[in-house]
Order: sequence, then structure tokens, then C-alpha cells
Amino acid sequence: MSREHYHVEDEPHRILVVDDEYGMREGCRAVLAAEGYEVETAEDGVVGLKIFSEKGKFSAVLVDLNMPRMSGMELIEKMHELDKDVCLLVITGYATIETAVEATKRGAYGYIPKPFTPDELLLPVRSGLEKRSLTLEAKRLREERENRLLEVAFERSKSNTIINCMTDGVLVINRDKQIVLRNAASARIIPKCSQFHLPTPMEDALDAPELSALVAETLEVKSESLIISKEVTLGNCTYMVNASPVMELNGDTVGAVAVLRDITALKKLDTAKSMFVSMVAHEIRGPLAVIEGYLNVILSGVAGQNPDRDRGMLERSLARAKTLRKMVSELMNLTAMETGHFTIKRAPLEIARVVAEAVEWCREKADEKGIALALDCAEYTLKEKILADRDAMMCVFTNIIDNAIKYTPPNGNVKVAVEYNGIYAKISIKDDGIGMTHEEQERVFDEFFRAKNEFTENVPGTGLGLSLVKRLVDMHQGKISLDSTPGIGSEFTVSLPSMEDTLLII
Amino acid sequence: MTSEKPLIMLIDDDRDFLDLNRRILEAKGYRVVCFSDPNVALAEMASRKPDVVITDLMMKDLDSGFVFSKKIKGDPRFKDIPVIIITAASSKRGFDFTPRTQDELDAMSADAYFDKPIVPEALLAKVEELLEK
Repeated sequence: MSREHYHVEDEPHRILVVDDEYGMREGCRAVLAAEGYEVETAEDGVVGLKIFSEKGKFSAVLVDLNMPRMSGMELIEKMHELDKDVCLLVITGYATIETAVEATKRGAYGYIPKPFTPDELLLPVRSGLEKRSLTLEAKRLREERENRLLEVAFERSKSNTIINCMTDGVLVINRDKQIVLRNAASARIIPKCSQFHLPTPMEDALDAPELSALVAETLEVKSESLIISKEVTLGNCTYMVNASPVMELNGDTVGAVAVLRDITALKKLDTAKSMFVSMVAHEIRGPLAVIEGYLNVILSGVAGQNPDRDRGMLERSLARAKTLRKMVSELMNLTAMETGHFTIKRAPLEIARVVAEAVEWCREKADEKGIALALDCAEYTLKEKILADRDAMMCVFTNIIDNAIKYTPPNGNVKVAVEYNGIYAKISIKDDGIGMTHEEQERVFDEFFRAKNEFTENVPGTGLGLSLVKRLVDMHQGKISLDSTPGIGSEFTVSLPSMEDTLLII
Repeated sequence: MTSEKPLIMLIDDDRDFLDLNRRILEAKGYRVVCFSDPNVALAEMASRKPDVVITDLMMKDLDSGFVFSKKIKGDPRFKDIPVIIITAASSKRGFDFTPRTQDELDAMSADAYFDKPIVPEALLAKVEELLEK
């Protein structure tokens, strides 16, 4: 509410004097102006009313009762109608005191009998103005309170809207263990709870003993700062319930608020993480136990002394130690990728040349096994560039080719082909090795997955290579797919976006 | 005939463990057969009944060893064969597998339980003890 309607304290009060006697008008003006009031005068009721309604706000009006054209009584009535708060004072001769009393009944604050001394004028003016200020102040306070009530009502509906929009379930329970408030999310979490009209006993509406027990416990709490948190399973979901008491100023617990947050996805992630850690532990303990076991046998001489056989065991220990070291560095790479500390440095790369390099890198191993390793890439592909990290690409292709060689029996074939169609580069690595079952294909990019059968038991590996490959390809917005048949062979296909497309994506 | 020498069946998907345990056991004069797949071992058991079975726990699945030992103990033909479980997995999601009591051991359908790496003397002593029973 604007305060402009009212008299502002540091501005002088404006007083209008309406009297047909010039001497009286000017006498009053002199007395009032000397007191610091701003004074206007009018010679009759018609002019007075005109000034009163047109020349802004007056705090007080002095009105002579006996005037031509419009009587003082009529003027008082009209002014009172225009402004209920204005201080109206009647100036009257002794002959008309009865009329003056009548005037006060119609809205005048008081009367000043003529003739009067300056003090006899000022006293009623001051007290009239004071009364007016008090009335206005009371009015202002009343309006303010009304506005605050409106605000509170608005705040309440705003809070309700906010609470209903929350994704966490909110339940408010009173001391009698009745639900007094529930939001939309809590009704979604506990559908049964929305069937009841509030307030309703929580035991009936919640149908979740764990939750009810938690709330009951919270109602016993004597400190507002205490929050009771517990994981509660409702249906297929897990919720973190935070319950806190609602207290009055005197410290009495009047109820409890329970907030239910769905942590199902977090729990799943947590489980996956724990599983991964125990898998890592197992995968590391295995080779370590082998190494320790071999060394134990050699040192203790349990299996007798035989330098050749001991050498064989030492060589196996060394091989397992190497695999272990490789596994640890691959794990570090995977972790770096997960925490986002692993960054790829993209640069224009002649991808066919990198693939050719990876092929040559694996050539020795293929030759050892008598495997024919062939590269098929048309001349035109050699100049095609994609935006990729050179080291990452080397890692991807040496891993896949190395894998193909590992899982292909001696005298088999591994064929690498590069194609480019302007949209993406397609690199395929095809072998006529042992192949994979459907189930194995689905898990081949998982950490620590290694196909286990008669053939693979002698193949060294960490089970991390292909999951690393998949992540690297993903980081390049590429795609890796697998087509495999047990006993026939496998074909891995890596598709990497063209330079133009990569620039559009990143 | 060497049929007096007890036959020990080793099952592990890590060929180094098979090799290692075979060396330890053969040095004591036991006959040893090795398998990397518990199902193949089970099929073989009917024709060549071993005197002791030593199996790994986590092979294809987390609990391959338990499934395998349950199958042995559940089969009237093999239920008297002592089973030793050896594992590098001391925990599955943080829980210790190591049996603390005879009941827990029975629940695993095992007669003995060892953590990898194997202390040769301890394994040999246990094999001897189980054979004497």
C-alpha cells in the first residue's frame, strides 16, 4: 500500500480556512502560518469545496457556519464525504453553538467559539491533527496486516505448489501418528496413501512397517537438529528416508517430516562398483597366488629338485607377473577414463596408415603362430583423414588384431580391411578362429570377461583389453560391433566418423 | 598296478594352478588328473572315481566350485569323496567366504577350505588326513 495518501511527517500540514469575513480568514492564516502550517483560504463554501477537492490533500479545514451560497453545515457534510479523515473544525459565534454541536455529530472534530485568541485556535487544531494522525496510523497498520494475511495465504499456496513439484516424497505426520500432508511424489511412491482423506492414521495409509517405525522413532526425538536417516525398501525401489521432528517454540514435538528419496539407481551403481572391486581383487590375487605358489614349490623343494623343471616354473611366474602388470596399467587407464582424467588428443589422422602400422606391429606374433595376417585397403583410403587420437587408435587396433591372433589356431587367417565412404571410416578385423557363442558375444566388452574353454585356457590375457577398446571407440563417437560364430570365426567392425562429422559432434 | 596310490582330481580354470598342485601332489606319489571344466570332471568321475577332489571356487561363475561340490555330495555314488575347495576369492561383495565352523564347511559341501596361494605342506597334510578317514 502506497503511503502517499497520508500526510508525510516532514511536510507541513495543509490547512484550509473557509470564512466569508476577510479579517477572520487572514487572522487565522497569520496564526497558523506562524506555527508552520501551510494555509489556503476561501471566501465561501462553493470556493472552499472547489479548493478542497482540487488542490490536493488538506489535513484540516476551519469552517465558518454562517456563509452565503453554501452553509457551513452542508460544506462539512460534503468534505466529510470526500475525506473521512480530514480534521474539520467549526468556527462559530456564541449564538450558533447548538448548531456547532450538531455539526460535530455530522463529522466535525470540534468547534471554536468566536472570538478566540491565537492559543484558543491552535489548541483544537493541534489536538485535531493529532487525532487524525492516530487514526491514519491505525488505518495503515490495519491495511498492512490485511496485506500480510494475503501474503501468507499466497505463500502457503506457493509452498504447496513447491512441495507438490518435488521429486522427493514428502510426508508430514502429527503427534497422533496421522498423516496431515503428503505431496504428489509420496502418493506415487506409496500409492495406497493417496486413497485416504487426510488426516489419516499412518499405519493404515503407509502399509510400510519400516517407514512407520522410523516416523514413530522421530516423534520421540527431543532435538530439532536430529535427523534420522534410513534406507527403506518399498516394492522394487530403495529409498533414503530422512525424518526430522517438527517442534514448537517451547520444545514440544508436534509432528515429523519424512522425505523419501529414490536411491535405487545409486544402489545399483554401488553394487556394480563393489562387484567390480571384488572382481579386480580376484583377478589380481589369482596370478599373484600362482607366482607365490611356484616360488614356494621351488624354494621349499616339495616337488624335488630339478633345475629344468624349476626354470619352467620361473618362466610361468614371469609370464603371469607380466600379465599382471599389463592388467594394472589397463585398470589405471579404465579408471582414468571413468573419472574423466583420461583425455584424448584429436588431430587429423590418416586412419588407414595407423591401421597398417598396427598390423605390422602384430606381424611378428602372427608369424610365430603361422597365421596369415593380411591388410586390405584401397589406395584411395590412404589419404583419408579422421579426427582422432593416434595413441588411442593404435591401442584399439593392436588390441583387436592381437586378440584375433590369440583366438585363431595356428595356420589360420586374420584379415584387416579399411574402407571410407565420406561419412565414416570402417575398419574390419576378420579371423577364422574359434569364434564365440551368443552369450560370450554379449559379454565380450565387459571388464574381465574372457571366454573360457579348452582352447582359451592357455591364452594369456587380462580380460580388460576389449573393454578398453570399446571405451576408446566410444570416446571418438565411433561404433564397434561384432559378428561371430563358434568354430567359424569372428569379425570385429569399428566405424569412426569422418572429420566433418566429428567437428559437428564435438 | 599303481592302483594302491590314491587318485586325486584337480579342477581349476587356471592352468598354472593345475600345474602347481599337480607337482606338489605327484611329488608325494599321488596320481593326479586335471580338469579345467567341473562338468567334464563330473562326467569323468563315474569311470575313474577319485579318492580326493580339489576344486577352485570361482571358475566360469562366481560359485562354480560350490555347485560342483554340491553335485558330488548329492550323488550317492560320490558322496563319500572328500572335497577340498581352494580359492583366491576371499570375498564376494566384501563378505568373507572362509568357513569358520564345521557347519559352515558342511554348508559348502566341502571337507576343507584353503585360500590361494596354497602352502604345500598344509595341503598335503589335509589330503593325507582326509584319505585316512
